[in-house]
Amino acid sequence: MNILFGLVSAMLVGATPILLAAIGGTFTFYAGIFNIAMEGMMLVGAFCAVLGSFFLHSWLLGILCAVAGALIMAGIFILFAVRLHTDEFLTGIALNLFAVGLTTFLLRDIFHVKGAFTNAGIRAIPAVKLPLIDGIPFLGKLLSGYNAIIYVAILVTVLSAFVIFRTRFGLRLRGAGYNAACLSSSGVPASTIRIWSLIVCAICCGLAGAYLSLGYVRLFAENMSAGRGWISLAAVILVSGNPWGIAVISLLFGFFDGLTVFLQGSRIPTQFTAMIPYVATLVSLYLYSVRKRRQA
Amino acid sequence: MARDVLIDLRHITKVFPPDTVALSDVSVSFEAGEIHALVGENGAGKSTLMKVFYGLERRDAGDIFYRGAKVDFRTPREAIAAGIGMVHQEILLIPEYTVWQNIVLGAEPVRAFGIIDVDKAREAVRQKIEEFQFNLDPDALVGDISVAARQKVEILKLLYRNVSVLVLDEPTAVLTPQEIPQLFAELARLRDKGHTIIFISHRLDEVLTLSDRVTVMRRGKVVGTSAASELTKEDLARQMVGREVLFTSRRQPQESGEIVFRARGLNCSDTEHRARLHDVTVEVRAGEIVGVAGVEGNGQFELVNAIMGLAPMTSGTLEVKGKDITHADILTRRTLIAFVPQDRGKMGASVAASILEDAIMTHHILDSRFRTWRGLGLDYRHAAEFVDQIRDQFTVSMGHSSDPFRSLSGGNQQKVILGRELLLETPFVLMDQPTRGLDVGSIEYVHQLLLDLRSKKRAVLLVSADLDELFMVADRIVVMCQGEVVANLATDATSREEVGYYMLGGKEAVHAETGS
Amino acid sequence: MRKQALSGILGVLAAFAIGALLLALQGFNPVATYGALLQYSLFGGSGFTATLTRAVPLILTGLSASIAFASGPVNLGQPGQLVMGALGATLIGLFVHLPSALLVPLCILASLLGGALWSGLAALLKRAFAMDEFIVTLMLNFIADYFALWVITYPLFDPSASSPMTRPISTAAWLPDLGGVSTSVLFMVLAAVICWLVMSRGRSGYEWRMTGQNSLFARIGGCKVDANYVRVMLVTGALAGLAGGLMIMGGPHRFVKGLGANYAWDGIMIAVVANSGISGTFLYGLLFSALQQGAIGMELVTAVPSEFIDVLQAVIVLVVVAGRVSLNMVFDWLATRRKLKESVG
Repeated sequence: MNILFGLVSAMLVGATPILLAAIGGTFTFYAGIFNIAMEGMMLVGAFCAVLGSFFLHSWLLGILCAVAGALIMAGIFILFAVRLHTDEFLTGIALNLFAVGLTTFLLRDIFHVKGAFTNAGIRAIPAVKLPLIDGIPFLGKLLSGYNAIIYVAILVTVLSAFVIFRTRFGLRLRGAGYNAACLSSSGVPASTIRIWSLIVCAICCGLAGAYLSLGYVRLFAENMSAGRGWISLAAVILVSGNPWGIAVISLLFGFFDGLTVFLQGSRIPTQFTAMIPYVATLVSLYLYSVRKRRQA
Repeated sequence: MARDVLIDLRHITKVFPPDTVALSDVSVSFEAGEIHALVGENGAGKSTLMKVFYGLERRDAGDIFYRGAKVDFRTPREAIAAGIGMVHQEILLIPEYTVWQNIVLGAEPVRAFGIIDVDKAREAVRQKIEEFQFNLDPDALVGDISVAARQKVEILKLLYRNVSVLVLDEPTAVLTPQEIPQLFAELARLRDKGHTIIFISHRLDEVLTLSDRVTVMRRGKVVGTSAASELTKEDLARQMVGREVLFTSRRQPQESGEIVFRARGLNCSDTEHRARLHDVTVEVRAGEIVGVAGVEGNGQFELVNAIMGLAPMTSGTLEVKGKDITHADILTRRTLIAFVPQDRGKMGASVAASILEDAIMTHHILDSRFRTWRGLGLDYRHAAEFVDQIRDQFTVSMGHSSDPFRSLSGGNQQKVILGRELLLETPFVLMDQPTRGLDVGSIEYVHQLLLDLRSKKRAVLLVSADLDELFMVADRIVVMCQGEVVANLATDATSREEVGYYMLGGKEAVHAETGS
Repeated sequence: MRKQALSGILGVLAAFAIGALLLALQGFNPVATYGALLQYSLFGGSGFTATLTRAVPLILTGLSASIAFASGPVNLGQPGQLVMGALGATLIGLFVHLPSALLVPLCILASLLGGALWSGLAALLKRAFAMDEFIVTLMLNFIADYFALWVITYPLFDPSASSPMTRPISTAAWLPDLGGVSTSVLFMVLAAVICWLVMSRGRSGYEWRMTGQNSLFARIGGCKVDANYVRVMLVTGALAGLAGGLMIMGGPHRFVKGLGANYAWDGIMIAVVANSGISGTFLYGLLFSALQQGAIGMELVTAVPSEFIDVLQAVIVLVVVAGRVSLNMVFDWLATRRKLKESVG
């Protein structure tokens, strides 16, 4: 039974950053933006979270800083890709490089360390006990007591499915992706919708980043997003943006991520267990292509 | 008939970079409650003028007055808010959305939290459909309805926004001859309800049937405005082209030779297993031009792709000059088929490349002149000479061969492509809409080229959406409908009406006639 | 071409200005900082040769990315291909005993094959299962990294070392220095010249470029786009692999932990600023190498952290790429004005 709890917990923990970033990515996906900057937004978010939490002595302000940092990244993306019509892919690549460079530089400049910064002064995001459910014997242990961001991630997923498919913003958002010229000629500039989608994406990636550095662990390390932004992009492409599909895929990755932790004590070298999320991405891409071929 | 002037465009000038003067000092006024046709050949500036008015293009000089006040719409949104709506030539709808979603997009009725009030939206759309007798299903997916119905959705989308001025850019271009009267009846009804309609066209019959007044444009300038009742078709044509135009075929009678191209029983389906081609059989003889007519999306494009080997066929055979190419790779086909595709930028050339790079495609493999270093290298000097040859032989007006292809005008781009393809010296020539989007001079040039090919005993298959074009150059017209060949008619023994009838699916009749 | 050069120079200058602003905001002296940067990368005798040596992997991975991007495939796998190429050269250098004249070419061949193997895997997955190479190559980067780490931690671990690394390769495989410059520079220049010839004068380069610009057009024109795709993937993988091999043979002579990490995205970055041109890639490769080399001296002299260069590089990329588009818009605008004056009179 404890293995089950452990696995569920590890799964949720591993799934959360990918889920959040992918939900962000789904907004830009529907808006018709080829957005590969999630990795960079997440990384800047993770750094700013530590920055805010350490200096302002509050995990909440840390999260706010993370979101603000990711929003600045989105601002640069908007300036270049939406306003100056620079290629989205190139802007994304440049932005990811910028994120790595900037966080490494600031890590050195502000905290005077190389590699990683960890300090007891960093306030972590606390775990939350769900009021009613916590008391129930089995369910309480299964569902309650996780990091606050995990519940936020679940909420964000439900909310995003609702916004995308039920609201005016959602109709316009999808319209921008399906046919931007049509949306613009309907009196809603597609660029405005794209800007909003990037803002939403940045908020989600900021949360994901904050979770990485204040929830998952309590430190900032160079390049700590470690390809999670890319994996979430793969998830978005795999399910064509559907938030429920993203939730399923993220949980799958969380499962493999959790497996990595479980296998650490085993005789398999850690180098191979560390490969699992990336191999899993390749396997799911493969399954996707097989499924697509069968449909065709 | 004295109506108030509603829209007054004064001294409008528009330049497209780097040096195309699309509009030069254009002044026109439109009156309230009229149907005003704006006519001119392709490239005369009709659409550009309306896009400038509508806020889609910035003008470089001039003033716009609307209801007596000076206005300056910077976006279509502002124009719509002022009561002006435009239906574009290419239909701008979202196929994945339903009719009602498309109509309300941008002006959605909402409840709290921005949730779309679906019931209210559908009801409002239903009311509009009834009010204007448009006969549409609000819940149908736009991707599933006909082109004519989509056009209605576009118009309804504007009426839903309560516009009083409607600008329609070549609305009949995508319709069959039989669908046009229905559209005209709807437009006349709108005028009678007080709407003002500006109608862009280059088809003279339509213009005279429908409109109250006509403004003719030529090469970015206004030639004049007159009441439709005072005009004849010949007057209009002369004004449009600047000289006398003959509306008759220039084909010389000629014996055709042996069969060069033969497609037999072609079948192919799309990814959703819907049949796109069904038992299509076409033959073209040497010295013969066979036209393929049909409403767009009835299998013409699939036929072209099947011939070129771009899409797999489920069954059928292809043959050129007795050689079976059913399973041949594209390069083998290219030794037998010259191909001018419908979309220059997507299939005919790379717009980012230089003229030279686009001109030597295919030749770089088939012509040994261009090989150096045992075939590893490409001889750019010979290539430049080849571009000169195309330039001289096909009267291309261009700068240096290393200039980007996109710096050429549309007509010159097409000439480079035609030159490249025709210099392949193949027995069979496949042309898909070779005059689409060209100016009148270039269109005449292409037609003459087609007739020259015919007299040189080449076999030509010409896919065209323009019936006038087919009647002018084709010996036979094959009509396609829903992926099938529904008629195979000798041009001299048929009429536009008959072709139009088959385009709409008048299949039974053709069997009755040809079955005997 | 002249427009390209103009927008490049303007962009780099603008980026330096932005960098100066950032430095000033942090309380550093921009003039002194840039001065130190230049001195330690270009003017000091050893600085310049070090810049050249450092440019080897930068330019080779840059060429790899440039050729890939110009030809269509979005090969983002240079880091992984570099690691596999380095591993290939290391294996041969450790276990094959031959005279230098044979061993050096063999090691180079192994590095080419190592890189091509890794990119070929991505090409295979694309051709057989339509899996997007852009995500596949990225994932393969991580996998190559961990795989190499395992190789140097277990099977090829040097027991005398404190951190994961292999034993030194056979000295016969070492590339000698010529006047302080590693001969790996010669191999790099040779590779760059061949790349230029293939892309600008070769028939395959023509087909690749046309496919990259408009693959449907190239396909209709009779180019074998599928075969070309595989060829481009193999060639670009081999180039990145060569970078890895030369790094081993010219540098530490063994595979040490974190070998590829420092060059992770540099090749892609260089290809992006150079707009996938061969000569541009060469020049920007030198520029970025000079920046990275100068950064070390700059930190010593001015106390500006060397990581500042990472920020500056990213700013250069953003500004140059955006500037290219904006400058075209300015040219269009100027042309419009001119024509308007002519036509209105």
